[in-house]
Amino acid sequence: MNTHEHNHDHPPIEEAGGTAPDYFEMMETAVRELLIERRLIEPDDIRRQIEVLDSRTPALGGKVVARAWVDPEFRARLLADGRHACEELGITFYDDTSLIVLENTDAVHNLIVCTLCSCYPRPVLGLPPDWYKLKPYRARAVKEPRALLKEFGTLIPDEVEIRVSDSTAMVRYLVLPQRPENTVNFTEEQLAALVTRDAMIGVIRVNVDPAQGKEAVQ
Amino acid sequence: MNELANLLTILPNETGGQDSAPFERTEHELLPWEKRCHALADVLDLYKIINTEEKRRGVEALGSNLVVKLNYYQRWIVVFAIILFQKGILTPDELAKKMEEVEARLSFGDEFEAMEHVGGKEQIC
Repeated sequence: MNTHEHNHDHPPIEEAGGTAPDYFEMMETAVRELLIERRLIEPDDIRRQIEVLDSRTPALGGKVVARAWVDPEFRARLLADGRHACEELGITFYDDTSLIVLENTDAVHNLIVCTLCSCYPRPVLGLPPDWYKLKPYRARAVKEPRALLKEFGTLIPDEVEIRVSDSTAMVRYLVLPQRPENTVNFTEEQLAALVTRDAMIGVIRVNVDPAQGKEAVQ
Repeated sequence: MNELANLLTILPNETGGQDSAPFERTEHELLPWEKRCHALADVLDLYKIINTEEKRRGVEALGSNLVVKLNYYQRWIVVFAIILFQKGILTPDELAKKMEEVEARLSFGDEFEAMEHVGGKEQIC
């Protein structure tokens, strides 16, 4: 496992906790407890927020995408105001970010990145993967997106425009991938199950397992 | 624009278009303390104690030497401490003392397990 962009001067993070408490883990605990003692945060706030974080997975984004595929009016509302349309489906935003949904078409392929740090549509996708937060992806997405996508196995023909959207603290993006062919008989639930996190970042397309397609048609 | 002047257009933490190491598709499950650190960031933002922009600028202000040595959540917790010092909310001495307490206590078991027994189940949003 390589989750770092540097040579190590600290113990591997896998060893954090256990018999030798990790310095940074102790710092986290100490900061949290001091803030609670000062009554700046409540004792339960962190645990509650962890529950919120755990409740956010790409399945929520998949639900949004599938609804947009089957309901043109919802799709229009989603593209007009991403956050509001997600809230329609009961997805709450626990921060004050706005969401812009970018639609892939035959002519345009969208990709999202945060070149400054790691901004990501967390309310609908959960936490970003490490590679999204590390320099190679952030540096290259805006410079050579076509080459980068190729490394994900995604070949975008030259005639298709690639649009890269750079997230900010307040504005987050979500890619609305193209609905795959041969999914006419899929239910909304079956469609949602096809939509992966990486497809909503824009690094891959949504694909149908041929066997799955056959099954849905029957 | 000459090369030196061009450098002025690049923000301290700007990576877009910069040279980089080869791309690797890395992922890991967050450690419990990393997840707590993430939750702390959200809570600090919610209470308007430290917002996302302050956190990002704080990471930039760590300087390139420290930034490459610390991993993602190590940077965050260090930055939270620094900003809390700057805002006069905590002092370095208080934090050092509390960390000593925590270290003494941590040898008796998992900190978070104990924490999980506190409080209800309702959500923040």
